[in-house]
Amino acid sequence: MQSLFRFLLDGAREALRGGSMYRLWCIGLLVVAAFGTLQYIEQLRHGLMVTGMSDQVSWGFYIANFAFLVGIAAAAVLLVIPAYAFHRSDVKEVVLLGEGMAVAAVTMAILFVIVDLGRPDRLWHMIPYIGRFNFPGSLLAWDVVVLNVYLLLNLCIPFYILYSRYRGHAPSTRAYFPFVVLAMFWAISIHAVTAFLFSANSGRPFWHTSLLAPRFIASAFASGPALIILTLQVLRRVTAYPVKQSVIDMLAVIMMIAMQINVFFVIAELFTDFYNEGAHAASIHYLFLGMHGFDALRNWIWIALLMNLVAMVILTVNPWRREMRLLNLACVLGFVGIWIEKGMGLVIPGYIPTPLGEIFEYFPTGTEFAIALAIWAIGLLMFTVMAKVAIAVETGRMRAPPPSHDLAVNPEG
Amino acid sequence: MSNDSQKAGDKFDQARRGFLEKLGKAAAGAGAASALPAPAWGGASFLEAFGDMFNKQYKKMTRKEIDAALSRIRRRALRQYGVEIDCDDTPPQENVVFGYAINISTCQGYRDCVHACVKENNLGRDSQVEYIRVLEMDQGTRNLEEADHYYDPDTVPVEGKYYLPVQCMQCDDPPCVKACPVEATWMEPDGIVVIDYDWCIGCRYCMAACPYWARHFNWSQPKLPPEEINTKTHYLGNRPRPRGVVEKCHFCIQRTREGGQPACMEACPTGARVFGNLLDPDSEIRYILENKTVFRLKEDLGTEPKLWYYTD
Amino acid sequence: MIRTVAGLTALTFAALAVPPVTAADEETGFTPFTGYAAASEFSVVPRQGELVFFPCSQCHEFMEPDATIRELMSPHEVEFKHGQGRFWCYACHKLDNREQLVAVNGEPVSFDDSHLVCGGCHGLRHKDWAFGAHGKRQTSWTEDRVIYNCTHCHDAHDPVIKPREPMAGPGVRTGLERVAPERHEKPKVWQRRDSQEQKHEQ
Ligand code: SF4
Repeated sequence: MQSLFRFLLDGAREALRGGSMYRLWCIGLLVVAAFGTLQYIEQLRHGLMVTGMSDQVSWGFYIANFAFLVGIAAAAVLLVIPAYAFHRSDVKEVVLLGEGMAVAAVTMAILFVIVDLGRPDRLWHMIPYIGRFNFPGSLLAWDVVVLNVYLLLNLCIPFYILYSRYRGHAPSTRAYFPFVVLAMFWAISIHAVTAFLFSANSGRPFWHTSLLAPRFIASAFASGPALIILTLQVLRRVTAYPVKQSVIDMLAVIMMIAMQINVFFVIAELFTDFYNEGAHAASIHYLFLGMHGFDALRNWIWIALLMNLVAMVILTVNPWRREMRLLNLACVLGFVGIWIEKGMGLVIPGYIPTPLGEIFEYFPTGTEFAIALAIWAIGLLMFTVMAKVAIAVETGRMRAPPPSHDLAVNPEG
Repeated sequence: MSNDSQKAGDKFDQARRGFLEKLGKAAAGAGAASALPAPAWGGASFLEAFGDMFNKQYKKMTRKEIDAALSRIRRRALRQYGVEIDCDDTPPQENVVFGYAINISTCQGYRDCVHACVKENNLGRDSQVEYIRVLEMDQGTRNLEEADHYYDPDTVPVEGKYYLPVQCMQCDDPPCVKACPVEATWMEPDGIVVIDYDWCIGCRYCMAACPYWARHFNWSQPKLPPEEINTKTHYLGNRPRPRGVVEKCHFCIQRTREGGQPACMEACPTGARVFGNLLDPDSEIRYILENKTVFRLKEDLGTEPKLWYYTD
Repeated sequence: MIRTVAGLTALTFAALAVPPVTAADEETGFTPFTGYAAASEFSVVPRQGELVFFPCSQCHEFMEPDATIRELMSPHEVEFKHGQGRFWCYACHKLDNREQLVAVNGEPVSFDDSHLVCGGCHGLRHKDWAFGAHGKRQTSWTEDRVIYNCTHCHDAHDPVIKPREPMAGPGVRTGLERVAPERHEKPKVWQRRDSQEQKHEQ
């Protein structure tokens, strides 16, 4: 117990320590988070009318970010599988960072749902037995379950490993491997369930397609590695942590394949909807071409598509992919492209036109941007702190003091 | 649900019930004191707010708890609007399942139903929620995308147009009920899909699930002119709603459960609206369903709407 | 049961009526109309009391019945839109008793039962009305069925319902504004065909 306490204390100390750049970065994030929190308090006071959402478009920027972030969280599995299932030592060195990213991403996703609620004070209604949890009927209930379990898994596995290392033990594979296997499947499930959350709605033809779940997974496996590749390079630069190039190469290949599949899915969707344009195609028509003079999303989606295409080409041409600057460009383009395509480009057109054929556009307000930024800042801060502590433990900078007398008596600590 | 966990839940319920009873007594005391002028902070005692917060879902409440909740609702209305309302929870009638039929060859597009509904159901006057939308359709098509929701000619009907009023279809297999993560919305035995406004968490997933755009959200606290408040209210119906929850047409549960007509039917000057008991073979609605050409909107989605359209 | 003062011919409603139980009136030989098989019971909102000039005998007592078609004078300057000029007053009003209407079979009908006059021609609509698919019910959905007469809504002399101003359209939620769509009237199939044919000719 005592050593656990010391571990946490050391971790906190480690998180607070750092160079001026590190501090500036953290303070910057805190300021953004604080500003957004103030905006959220405004939202609590006035209700969701401070957002741009309406009865016509009843989910907006928040849920768009939610859908995207669940994908990022799921993508952590791309490090988990090679690290634990194929025992690649180079990946194993960074897998904890991937899991940290998953934790941050799931937390952000959950926060995005919470800020979207009309009555966050009633969140306890979801707790089974105290409240009423509509499981297994409601897909939203499913999502609550899978996200929380995934969060727990991704907290516990790295925690166990770090804590063992901290105490100078080698983590026992037998103890955590079953959970790793579970986490692998769970990663797919969180994203599939999130896709089902949308595709379950037969009244929304834009979402009601069986391609949605595969598309979600493909785009997640393209945007996730993009973020990981960029993050690993940043970490390589700002910390002394050795990140092997082979890891980045592996992720780039995965991203290439996923991006190719993603683009193919988009084409399949476009063909099916536009070849014989029926009622099913109204939303996609609005999205790509505009409708009745409304085209708020049209430029965005074309830019996103272009970004994805450029990223795909860079990734596909072997020498280009190996050129780090081009690879980074592809990562940025792929990440932003998918964020647009899968966030606003997926959630909003589902509501336009409404089931009664009305077209009412949606524009996020400053409040929504501020709150969303704050959540991203919180996520980044979480990741920064977790990565810092994890690296400290992995590099041996943070270690439990040699066991003293009383600890030796109680090996459990 | 396993037996054990069921028991655990029951125990929790019991504990809470005891606690809430005590609370209720305290709140009653506060109620007695309300003869005094309301304090500056609006008169909601801490306990009152507390009781609101830990309201159980309607179907899980005991009779006593329902009564306490009803009187809390009355006090809340008095506080908020200075109006004495009457709120009950009239149960469904035996052997009754409500259905609705609208004659689209008779409908003239007056929108009288829309406004009668707003008044009857205490809909926020500023928030512009309306349970009924009358669509102006081009003759010769039933494509909703061609519909005009905001038609405003000098007179209706306009030549070449017909009118299609849309509201909650009270589906017999309602996708919104399936969607709700907290069972804040359900179908009553008389077929009305209702919402417990004190249980809804405002996630708006049901709005995404509804194929008829029947569900509306209170983006802000609905504003009601006190003099226009309909004081006859029902727990699952037209009682004043809080902010941040979803609401929708409930076939005027406060009227129809007592034998009255829905306000929209009463207001319709053309007689295009026919409401009745689907289980009564002698009812007007059954005659229509069995003898006229009827259709339902988006029937292909399999939600079994209980609102039909028919023509002469 | 319909409060029927007079009957309609069994002929008019041959397929619809339930005459077997009711014997033909001995004096006139007509079978009174007693309603439709299986139609639920109803009563009709009385109408006579609402008529402005009723009782008509106030004036008509002092006038000779005159069936000639002529220009009508105050207070009866009605324009007969109904039937587009094919009818004269006595198609529906009883010539020798202005207190009453007359059915197609010549039977006198009270103003309270004017639907029997209308139903003489508009048989199918009358049936829909009797069963509740047309017209308006006054009371609740469950108690006794009291329905409005045809003439409550339709002016018998000009029965087409007049266009009227609609009530205000929907708004959007507080804080948002609606932009009206650019509406391009989609050509109907027949209109499309027309323009195609023109193209061929050119
Ligand atoms: S908004 Fe309310 S009623 Fe609708 S799904 Fe969410 S909790 Fe249920």
